[in-house]
Amino acid sequence: MSEPHTSPPPGTQAPSGSGPLRLQAEVLESERVAANHRRLLLRAPQIVTTAQPGQFLHIWCHPPEEIDRPPSAALLRRPYSISRLRPPDGVEILLRVRGNGGRLLAAKAAGESLDIIGPLGHGFRISPGLSLAVIVAGGIGLAPVSFLVERLGGLGVRVILLAGAETDEKIPFRVERPQAGGATLPEMEALGAEVTFVSESVEGVRITEVVQARLDELPGEGAAMFAVGPRAMLKRLAEIARGGLPLQVSLEERMACGLGACRSCVVPARSADGASYKTVCRDGPVFDASEIDWERLTP
Amino acid sequence: MTKPDLGVTIGSMAMKNPVMIASGIFGYGDEFAGLADYGELGALVLKTITREPRQGNPPAHRTVETPAGMVNAIGLENVGLDAFLRDKLPAALAHGTNVVASIAGDTPEGFAECARSLDGTDVAAIEINISCPNVKKGGMAFGVDAEASAEVTAAVRAATKKPIIPKLTPNVTDIASVAQACERAGADAISLTNTFSAMVIDVEGRRPLLAAGTGGLSGPAIRPAAVYRVHQVAQAVEVPVVGMGGIWNANDALEFIIAGASAVAVGTALYADPAAGNRIVAGIREYLQRHGIRQVSDLVGSIQL
Ligand SMILES: Cc1cc2nc3c(=O)[nH]c(=O)nc-3n(C[C@H](O)[C@H](O)[C@H](O)COP(=O)(O)OP(=O)(O)OC[C@H]3O[C@@H](n4cnc5c(N)ncnc54)[C@H](O)[C@@H]3O)c2cc1C
Ligand SMILES: Cc1cc2nc3c(=O)[nH]c(=O)nc-3n(C[C@H](O)[C@H](O)[C@H](O)COP(=O)(O)O)c2cc1C
Ligand code: FES
Repeated sequence: MSEPHTSPPPGTQAPSGSGPLRLQAEVLESERVAANHRRLLLRAPQIVTTAQPGQFLHIWCHPPEEIDRPPSAALLRRPYSISRLRPPDGVEILLRVRGNGGRLLAAKAAGESLDIIGPLGHGFRISPGLSLAVIVAGGIGLAPVSFLVERLGGLGVRVILLAGAETDEKIPFRVERPQAGGATLPEMEALGAEVTFVSESVEGVRITEVVQARLDELPGEGAAMFAVGPRAMLKRLAEIARGGLPLQVSLEERMACGLGACRSCVVPARSADGASYKTVCRDGPVFDASEIDWERLTP
Repeated sequence: MTKPDLGVTIGSMAMKNPVMIASGIFGYGDEFAGLADYGELGALVLKTITREPRQGNPPAHRTVETPAGMVNAIGLENVGLDAFLRDKLPAALAHGTNVVASIAGDTPEGFAECARSLDGTDVAAIEINISCPNVKKGGMAFGVDAEASAEVTAAVRAATKKPIIPKLTPNVTDIASVAQACERAGADAISLTNTFSAMVIDVEGRRPLLAAGTGGLSGPAIRPAAVYRVHQVAQAVEVPVVGMGGIWNANDALEFIIAGASAVAVGTALYADPAAGNRIVAGIREYLQRHGIRQVSDLVGSIQL
């Protein structure tokens, strides 16, 4: 497309202030990273300057110029985490193809554009005293992790990454098993993380078991856990971490607006007045584990 | 040719163009602010409010996408009347165009209480939501019955001088008779349609995908069904009709106008394109110019049968 890539689509205002932006982002690269997984590099300088790890983009899966035509499939936008920033103007997403929306995005070639809204939601909060971060990621939950590892590394925080999946094919990264010691993810090591990867099919253990086994090695002070993955994994971690390590979790739920307005994407929250709901899209996707009512959170 | 006149009036509410945002789509307007110039539109209908705050339906899931549409079961989660007046309405009015409040209650008096509190505010009109399919009491329970619809309308009429607009459900056998009952009870306009009752099943789990079990279908999938109902109602009443259901572009909006709607509301399309309303205003203007039509009101109900 020959239009300026980052101008808002026709009819849209260039928003002022710090709210979410809507822009047309050119696809600079599209690459298969594993079976059914792709990495897209988008040109979106405005996102690079404001995005925080854990925030996401809400993406229209059809050509931007076709917004006037109602599609029968993938009518709503799709949420994808910001996986990594490539300054000065690159933003990466990692996608696992699940259905129609993912398929459309996976088929985008370099030079095409995407209509995106972002950065959205609240990302990971990094407290000033943090010296050790334990990141726990399951499957496609690894998508936002590179950005977080880079940010933490830049702040001088030691990062331990404990990642797991059912099989090696269920993550958007290359797995290496250099010696009997276990598996690792070279790309995450290159970013400075101390990595342990387990696949249920090869190592035969779940990542939550690894977390449990290694909790005792951790110092009491200055450590925190950050988790992204399936709800069952997050629930288990909330039990394991209870009372000890501060834990932040990134949740997913089906969305419509992505902005906090429609109340589609709520999760049960703990609050003073008893039962209440918080939105994944605006209050989250990253929550402090203590904010969530884990009993009422459906699997 | 001079610029076509897009202005329309709904009761005493003068609108610079016939395009509104439908209730419940963008909450009270604050979260979408900045993604389009909503002040450019004819009116903004805010999320339905009730006297007391409501939690809404349990999650996982509250919305499910379907072919050319979506099914929602939000269940009227809202901040309640007091917080609405204090925290939400001022920001909505700051958009610089007509703001329409949408109200609901469990009883006619519940509706009337909300209307009474809104009477002294700067809202331009009040939409009466007797058509929400996602709450057990109130909502659609009124809208499926002509007499009950009239009773709610009359109670609201007695409580406010603002233009009142009952919003009808399509889930009835004879929508025209419900509209007529509301008109007799003092409605200044009729809006339709709310969502169509719907269900989506998770085949693997043999369970409904919506936690509430059922929900309401919106989006392009319902458009022809909504256009037909708007046409039926427009023929049956004298008051203006606000048409909605699946409007995505100017052509869709024009279908409703030609079928008899004086104004239209855009809902689900906003989730894809926050500027859908602005795009539709521009498209209607272009159509009028292309056809040499001086004012949009000349087009209302101009269908040739
Ligand atoms: C905050 C957030 C961040 C995410 N980040 C990533 C990421 O970085 N990489 C990645 O591969 N996936 C990510 N996902 C999941 C991704 O949004 C879904 O895989 C995608 O929406 C599926 O769309 P589809 O049309 O391909 O699949 P379908 O299954 O056909 O989708 C049908 C409907 O369900 C919704 N849906 C399905 N699965 C999910 C889900 N897990 N979460 C929310 N909605 C869902 C879709 O949006 C759509 O409305 C994220 C989800 C959320 C909420
Ligand atoms: C998520 C969602 C929430 C809604 N909430 C309300 C509401 O609170 N009150 C109301 O009168 N209608 C509500 N509606 C119905 C819309 O206002 C509109 O009547 C309907 O969606 C049809 O228009 P559309 O196809 O353009 O969306 C809601 C619709 C959706 C999709
Ligand atoms: S998707 Fe609308 S509130 Fe989160």
